[in-house]
Amino acid sequence: MTVEKLALTTTSPAHKPLSKGGADNALAAELTHLLGPKKVLSSLAERLSYRFDAIQFGVTPLCVVLPESTEDVIATVKAARRTGVSIVGRGAASGLSGGAAPMQPSVVISFTRMTRLEILPERREAIAQPGVITLAVTDAAKPHGLIYPPDPASFRTSTIGGNLGENAGGPLCFKYGVTGDYVTALDFVDAEGELHTLRRDAYDLAGLLIGSEGTLGLITSATLRLTPPPKFTRTLMAHFAEVGQAAEAVSAAIAAGAVPGKLEFMDQACTNAVEDYLNLGLPRDAGAVLLVDTDGDDLDTVEEERALVEAACLEAGGVVRRAADEAEAAALWQARRSVSPALGRIRPQRMNEDIVVPRSVLPEVVRQIRALGDASGFKLVQFGHIGDGNLHPNILFDPRTESTEAVHHLAREIALVALRHGGVLSGEHGIGTMKRDFMNDAVDAETMQGLRNVKRALDPSGALNPGKILPEETHA
Amino acid sequence: MNNDIPVHELGPQGEVMAHAIDACVHCGFCLPACPTYALLGDEMDSPRGRIVLMKEVLEGGLDLLDAAPHLDRCLGCQACVTACPSGVPYGELITSFRGWSEPQRHRSPLDKAKRYAILKALPAPKLFSVAARIGQYAKPLAPALPAALRGPLDLLPEHVPAMQPSPKVTPAQGQRRARVAFLTGCAQQALAPNFNAATLRVLARNGIEVVIPDGQGCCGAAALHTGARDEALRLVRANLDAFNPDDYDAILSNAAGCGAGLKEYPVILHGLHDEAKAQAFSAKVQDISEYLAALAREEGLEPFMPASKPLKVAYHDACHLAHAQKVRSAPRELLRMIPGVSIVEIPEGDLCCGSAGTYNLEQPDLAGQLGARKAGHILSTAPDLIASGNIGCHTQIQSHVRRQGSPVPVMHTVEVLDLAYRGEL
Repeated sequence: MTVEKLALTTTSPAHKPLSKGGADNALAAELTHLLGPKKVLSSLAERLSYRFDAIQFGVTPLCVVLPESTEDVIATVKAARRTGVSIVGRGAASGLSGGAAPMQPSVVISFTRMTRLEILPERREAIAQPGVITLAVTDAAKPHGLIYPPDPASFRTSTIGGNLGENAGGPLCFKYGVTGDYVTALDFVDAEGELHTLRRDAYDLAGLLIGSEGTLGLITSATLRLTPPPKFTRTLMAHFAEVGQAAEAVSAAIAAGAVPGKLEFMDQACTNAVEDYLNLGLPRDAGAVLLVDTDGDDLDTVEEERALVEAACLEAGGVVRRAADEAEAAALWQARRSVSPALGRIRPQRMNEDIVVPRSVLPEVVRQIRALGDASGFKLVQFGHIGDGNLHPNILFDPRTESTEAVHHLAREIALVALRHGGVLSGEHGIGTMKRDFMNDAVDAETMQGLRNVKRALDPSGALNPGKILPEETHA
Repeated sequence: MNNDIPVHELGPQGEVMAHAIDACVHCGFCLPACPTYALLGDEMDSPRGRIVLMKEVLEGGLDLLDAAPHLDRCLGCQACVTACPSGVPYGELITSFRGWSEPQRHRSPLDKAKRYAILKALPAPKLFSVAARIGQYAKPLAPALPAALRGPLDLLPEHVPAMQPSPKVTPAQGQRRARVAFLTGCAQQALAPNFNAATLRVLARNGIEVVIPDGQGCCGAAALHTGARDEALRLVRANLDAFNPDDYDAILSNAAGCGAGLKEYPVILHGLHDEAKAQAFSAKVQDISEYLAALAREEGLEPFMPASKPLKVAYHDACHLAHAQKVRSAPRELLRMIPGVSIVEIPEGDLCCGSAGTYNLEQPDLAGQLGARKAGHILSTAPDLIASGNIGCHTQIQSHVRRQGSPVPVMHTVEVLDLAYRGEL
């Protein structure tokens, strides 16, 4: 069984180890000795709890460390290296690519207790340890008239460390940029347990660490840029008979010069799943819904941009509704953030994609993916940050009754649609294990060799988060 | 979450559990909602972590004993249910799991005795009242007593009031608008008899005839949530016999925990012969605030006398009202109808106060931390009065607010309405 196939199923009971309890391996014993029992988890119940992210697969770790300082991280890395055990960093494990899930018995370093956060208003910066919750940065910065824009849907749960690992985006990132665009400095612990401090000058090694999913080093601190929030925001919702029309409206609005703060899309199945959760009165019959914020410091421009978006939506055959007040806008955005988890209402398992395509080809791409889904017999849904061409087609399935091989096949077909249209595999979730097999489709052999050389240079023994991003090397 | 739970071996409760586990996508949206995750910060003590543990135990890959400490720490507050976009019925899962697992637990004789005493005393108001009175005199000795006894004593009010038996029928004042049945609750009859007296007065004043049917007893929630399923079934069926839903316009409770318990009857009896009876029953169940607010919207309530001075009320959402029953706006609407009353929202308002049924008695340390945290947040709003709709929250909040040196009154929502009707607010 390949790793990727394993990735689509949870381990069956036959393969489960029996309960033992207590430190049952040398590494756990040594780490407990070094760090004290409160920072090291080693019973089976504890270890089982740290093997999944939001894709729900993974191998049970050998032990889990909850560091409280950079020194704890260094000690853990050095101890793991001495015993030849691989190391997987983890934040809130709300990720959607398998990035934080161990693929072999490893030590998981869960950063959730490293939560120190300092706001430096005069520098418009925040210094955050990796366990800081994403939204906590904005919450702490707001009294100083500042925000931290990257806003993944999971921002109440996700951590800065996890966001850095996957270079997370969110609705605001269309206009304001993704996590990596806000990093001015990083500290990281390398594969040998050495600490480094990086700024964003040549060589931009920090840029390399961002989005590397813990395969090149473990980030232990980040300096993040803060900005004043826009003074005015206007929210509207448009709905369409089918997904292609929504995509046409997006292409046209942006071509006309609108730069919305947020421009999001969900298809009918997604709308119904969130409506089942929130009962907001969303249009259940519509084939697609767009949610749009226009924002800025000049009200006339904000309203002009809204008018451009409205005109494009009407032209594409849509029905437009403006949010009456802030409460309605907040409810609509809560609905958007809830889409991904709400899909659990439809099937217990999913294969999640994160493609990015040029905006000009959006109508064709969403229609082709819709057609692939219809022809496959699987429940396929689409939503995403359509403003920057970032789509999340999800195949929803029940592995007890549906073939995981067929799911994998369809997922590859979808990835190929994106690649054929000049797109890429991942916009914000990372490659992880989910899309690792498709990397050979996305990257030519020479470039792949370049990526492998980078990995070897920083992690020669492959101890950091093995089984992620780069496909298995074939020795023909 | 994909699983291999042997549903056929587990029967109807197995279906309930497997269905809940199926729906979890492990996204972590529940983490910031969970009180024990807030305190302990590890996966095993979070909702999704507990779902993984229950799945593993049910599949046979993990000993119940290994999972138990983490599952026992769950308050059952269901804040995770509110936070969950994928609709995991976590409350049903943990309740069913506790019912399934309790017979397999090996508890110490002292532990068994404590649980037995709690489950016997709680549903028997007279017994509870006697115990509370004895406890009242033992209160000064608390620091010298073992922790197991200190917890319950800490929660007792300084003064345990006399029981006030409720009349079997309270006639409507003026023209009768409706006839409802009322569940009187257990502990609250002993600890706060005015809750029920105020409820009867407010309903009667609004033209509602209130019947307290004979043969009713404890709702069964305490037994059920501690895994005593057989005992719970006995109590549930006694209530189904006592309350004939066809005889009443509604069946009311003024204790959030009991109301949530009554609404859970169809899940408890899922797959059993009296499931349909439970459905008919629970379709009529409403919290007192839910019923009054609907009445206010549809037909209007008798007007309230204004408060004697502007009154800032901190309304505390009981978990079993806000999360389990989704009743949030009704009590606020009612309180706002009193001229002079304004509502302040409590920071971290969705987080449990730590009372959670018998949790105070079973996990006194975590319960104490949550109680102190809640009291701090409430007092940070500088309220003139604290209102809530649940006896458990009431005693917990009162105890912790007093401990932090504040004399601010703590009342049931319906007591506030009653005072406003009497012009004494």
